[in-house]
Amino acid sequence: MVEWLAAFWQTYNTLVYLLFTHAILALSIYITLNTGLLSVGNAAFAGIGAYTSALLTMKLDLPFPVCLAAGSAAAGLVGLAIGLPVLRLSGVYLALATLAFGEVIRVVFLNLEVTGGAMGLNGIPPKTELWHLVLVCAALIYFFERLRRSRLGRTLDAIREDEVAARVMGIDVVYYKNLVFVLGAMLAGLAGGFNAHFTFFVSPREYGFGPAVDILAFAVLGGTGSYWGPILGSTILTLLPELLRFLADFRGMVTGLVLFLVIVYLPNGLLEVPDVLRRAWRRGAKP
Amino acid sequence: MTRLVAWFSAAAVAAAALVGPLAVRPAAADVKVGIAFALSGPIAVYGTPQRNGVQLAAREINARGGINGEKLVLVIEDEQGKKEEGINVFKKLIFQDKVLAIIGPTLSNSAFAADPIANAAKVPVLGVSNTASGITDIGPYVFRNSITEADILPVVIRTVKEKRGIKKVAVMYGNDDAFTKSGYEVFRQALADNKIEVLTTETFAKGDVDFSAQLTKIRSLKPDAIVVSALAEEAANIMLQARQLGIPDSVPFIGGNGFNNPKLFEIAGKAAEGTFVGGPWSIEDKSPKNVAFVKAYTEAYGQPPDQFAAQAYDGLHIVAAAIEQAKTTSDREKVREALQNLKGFVGATGPFEFKPNRDAKQDGKVFIVKGGKFTLFTD
Amino acid sequence: MLAQQLANGIALGSVYALFALGFTLVFGVLEVINLSQGAIAMFGAFFALVAVTALGTGIYTAMALAVLGAAILGVLIDRLALAPLRARKAPHLAPMIATIGITIFLTSLAQGLFGAQVSRFPIGLVPIRIFEVGPFQVTQLQLVIVAIAAGLMVALLLLLNRTRLGTAIRAVAESPRAAALLGIDVERIYLLTAAVTGALGGAAGVLIGLSFNAISPFMGEPILLKGITVVILGGMGDPKGAMVGGVLLGLVEVLSVAYLSSDLRDAIAFGLLFLILVVRPQGLFGRRQARKA
Repeated sequence: MVEWLAAFWQTYNTLVYLLFTHAILALSIYITLNTGLLSVGNAAFAGIGAYTSALLTMKLDLPFPVCLAAGSAAAGLVGLAIGLPVLRLSGVYLALATLAFGEVIRVVFLNLEVTGGAMGLNGIPPKTELWHLVLVCAALIYFFERLRRSRLGRTLDAIREDEVAARVMGIDVVYYKNLVFVLGAMLAGLAGGFNAHFTFFVSPREYGFGPAVDILAFAVLGGTGSYWGPILGSTILTLLPELLRFLADFRGMVTGLVLFLVIVYLPNGLLEVPDVLRRAWRRGAKP
Repeated sequence: MTRLVAWFSAAAVAAAALVGPLAVRPAAADVKVGIAFALSGPIAVYGTPQRNGVQLAAREINARGGINGEKLVLVIEDEQGKKEEGINVFKKLIFQDKVLAIIGPTLSNSAFAADPIANAAKVPVLGVSNTASGITDIGPYVFRNSITEADILPVVIRTVKEKRGIKKVAVMYGNDDAFTKSGYEVFRQALADNKIEVLTTETFAKGDVDFSAQLTKIRSLKPDAIVVSALAEEAANIMLQARQLGIPDSVPFIGGNGFNNPKLFEIAGKAAEGTFVGGPWSIEDKSPKNVAFVKAYTEAYGQPPDQFAAQAYDGLHIVAAAIEQAKTTSDREKVREALQNLKGFVGATGPFEFKPNRDAKQDGKVFIVKGGKFTLFTD
Repeated sequence: MLAQQLANGIALGSVYALFALGFTLVFGVLEVINLSQGAIAMFGAFFALVAVTALGTGIYTAMALAVLGAAILGVLIDRLALAPLRARKAPHLAPMIATIGITIFLTSLAQGLFGAQVSRFPIGLVPIRIFEVGPFQVTQLQLVIVAIAAGLMVALLLLLNRTRLGTAIRAVAESPRAAALLGIDVERIYLLTAAVTGALGGAAGVLIGLSFNAISPFMGEPILLKGITVVILGGMGDPKGAMVGGVLLGLVEVLSVAYLSSDLRDAIAFGLLFLILVVRPQGLFGRRQARKA
């Protein structure tokens, strides 16, 4: 058993790391979605975190936690700067503005000298370890569990359900929107920092439109009714391509189909499956 | 909470499905070589001919009795042209399939992520299309048989300057791609070394289809030639649009490895005539090895090979030759030494050996497009 | 050089405009961001390519077939994905993600069917002829593209503004409930809108394939990003805005290459988009409140 585990770990540890970093990314978009903000700039924030922390590791050789924190903080600062103007928008306009922001950031990575342009940064020393990720994810789950029952959590729920009513009740909507936007950016930046330190390499193409959409898909596939939904969604979308390896060229078709079917037939994401099954079973039991 | 438990047990079942293949052990004596190319997604255009090339080589090797009498088995995986997938595939090949050596990945980007894995596990890896600078610096187990733009482009620029007397050029390159960007860096240096004036440097992005703005600007500057660092599809499109915009046929295009692909004429047709191309290999090369390769490939796949196929085909033959000399089915260290000391190998791309730094030691040749073919440039 | 660059910009912009028109129409009527519009354009281009190469038709017949095929595809997407979501009154995020799923599926399907490589229409399908008009040097191809794009746009405007059907579509766009009270079959209008937008997407795909010689399973994403930019420039859901915005984006891109640097082209285009969203989210010409969405 031990030998088997060791072999498994050797082969699949990157996949496991990806499960965790994707879960953090999924939570980074969940925190904004949960407040009714559709922000799809998280791939760009992940990029800022990845580049910042990787550069600090490579050029200054700072301790790993410092690099990670700096990457996360850099993403948060940029989030704060663009949050104020952008968060006045709502719905799809916010989505499109953050999408455009993401593309601008990608072009910036491409044209800066320090980020290595199209060549990206290579030779980033691997520093990410499993326990870092377990620790961070456990802390995040604890945070989201506490948030659910806290005053802050209920405030965010109120903004999501009815922004105008929340404002009338005296909630400083602008403040809370910026708060969750910056928190989302920081989480994404953290995930980006971890990712850079186990893949040896970062380049601008990893932070464009496609990855932004992937992160959104994590959250929506799993369902945003609870923070477990995005985690479930990211886990499935990360494992699916590996499980479907035998399908070769048609892998993408299955992934696309799954996403589409879930959205159309399971509006609350996969978290709803047990409920749907239970209802169907009851119907079957009492004809 | 119960539904969470249900979900996580489902995830555990899924994980078990991943692990299933671990239990299957291969027949002990087979020689296993791992192949990691981009076989889906946009990069599959290059990965597919690479897969064809290695499969053809494997059939030839097994038809003549395998390696030291053992059967050569390829384990082919799709790395999708993504860095994370590159790492995952390399780990699967190394720790699960226990391959003796790996050929791939398709892109330099993926190589920067995946090759350190092979190097740390002490598994020799041979890149057959990675041309970015710094690939073999990853470590002593990383080799490549793809000669880099740095070996080819200066030869092209020097030759064209000597034979055609070009003095001023316009430059175009894709600025969001590692391959085309590094090609540009080499061009810039070579142009400076040859004291050729650069009138303007224009860029484009992957997926761009309209180049008329850049070309109109270039037309107004009246260059002697247009130097382009791009892959064949984009280059062909640039040529077509340049001719449509009235840049005369007397202004030739100059390019490197990326141009060396039959796609260039398929797309650009007559607009590609007179283009100068640098590369290690041409489909028109009449050496017996190459004639046999082109014939076998065309028969097997119904289309002519490109440079990606040729270098992948040679790549597997190189690895097989090294394994044969190392006389092993399991000792990766011996394979590494044999690769490093490989001498006298001749493949479809001509004579080949590795430099001490494990880069390819091969001559770049200059071709000119005539009648829809790459012909060796001599006049 | 300026004159020539303006001609380039208009040719490029009219393709953007045509594509954005379908995009903006879905938004105006259905209030849905249909991210599968790029994939529809891609399939339109492939339909025409198959018609030309396998059936041996001329380009105009091929284009008609492609438009028909893309319209059917548009209807299928509406029936299979958007209609069930509408019936359930799902939040606008849902159809957007559903169309992402469809895009992934269609891209992968196209790769399986046609391969990953770049294909092109046979050379000389539209005769290569160059006209000198004053300072402009225009190819016959550019003229054909601008003419087709302009023709389709005028046809759409006439449809929207001069026919009973158009009135019904606009009524549904204003308020589906009021339209239903007036006796309009709202679902039928949705279906027709899906067909029209599919057709526009398909036509744009063929024109892109024709003008830039690059048909591939992955051609949808770049044009989708441009389409989004155009629609925001012109104002969401506003057909005239999409046309003006399309030509404007074409000109901005071409002129930034001509007079600034080609390195900055995309940064300028997306920066402009970002700026407009922040300063004037209803678009340059829009009257509608951004709040509505």
